[in-house]
Amino acid sequence: MSKHDPENNEIRALLDIVDFSGKHILEIGCGDGNKTLRYTEQVAHVTAIDPDADQITLARKQIPDHLQKIIEFHHTPFDDFAKTCLPAAFDIVILAKSLC
Amino acid sequence: MVHALEEIHRLLKPTGRLIDIHPVAISPRLEINEAGKIHLAGYLSVYQWFTDFQQADNALMKIIQRGLFIVEQADIFDVPIHYASVAEMKTELMKELDYFARDARSASEDAPNIEALITKADKLMKLAANTAYLIAHEPTHISRLKPA
Repeated sequence: MSKHDPENNEIRALLDIVDFSGKHILEIGCGDGNKTLRYTEQVAHVTAIDPDADQITLARKQIPDHLQKIIEFHHTPFDDFAKTCLPAAFDIVILAKSLC
Repeated sequence: MVHALEEIHRLLKPTGRLIDIHPVAISPRLEINEAGKIHLAGYLSVYQWFTDFQQADNALMKIIQRGLFIVEQADIFDVPIHYASVAEMKTELMKELDYFARDARSASEDAPNIEALITKADKLMKLAANTAYLIAHEPTHISRLKPA
């Protein structure tokens, strides 16, 4: 199995560019939640979505007990999810390769 | 893509921020690392990736031009992917090609490029020490945008 970004360059770039403290986050295209779990300690709440059901199942299994109330993983495409949201609901939206 | 960005604009608080991360639309460099000595094997030229990443750039440019968002900060960082062997790299690249290819035509255009690179990497790996491994470097763009 290949090692993707073993030096954690992506999470370091993310933490350099944004202050997550006390924020409500929406992550679009969270995959298996590996990145999500790296910044969640600082936030007020994370809603992370992905259209791949298998990835969301993996992501849910990874949530440590102390973060259960802070993270929600949803199996949904963004368009469907957006229809259920009120305006101005999030402080930060992360698009992780989701525009591609 | 532009519609998704319009929706994101609606979901963000006026003080909120959009963080976009996507690979730069250039061919990733493939290297062989032999005890710290780097040998260039070539470039992963995949048309579909290039097109997708360019479309992402264009979508961001459109919403900036329309005045929905302003870029506050942007940077490029390297995402290295390590493969222990050529066989491992081949399996994963072909899987990705299947996933990303929009149709049989784009897959048939990209597969020969990857096959040629795999053949070259295989030759270099056979000449290298047993501990050598492959690294694909994917330059990735990160930007922070604020609603205008």
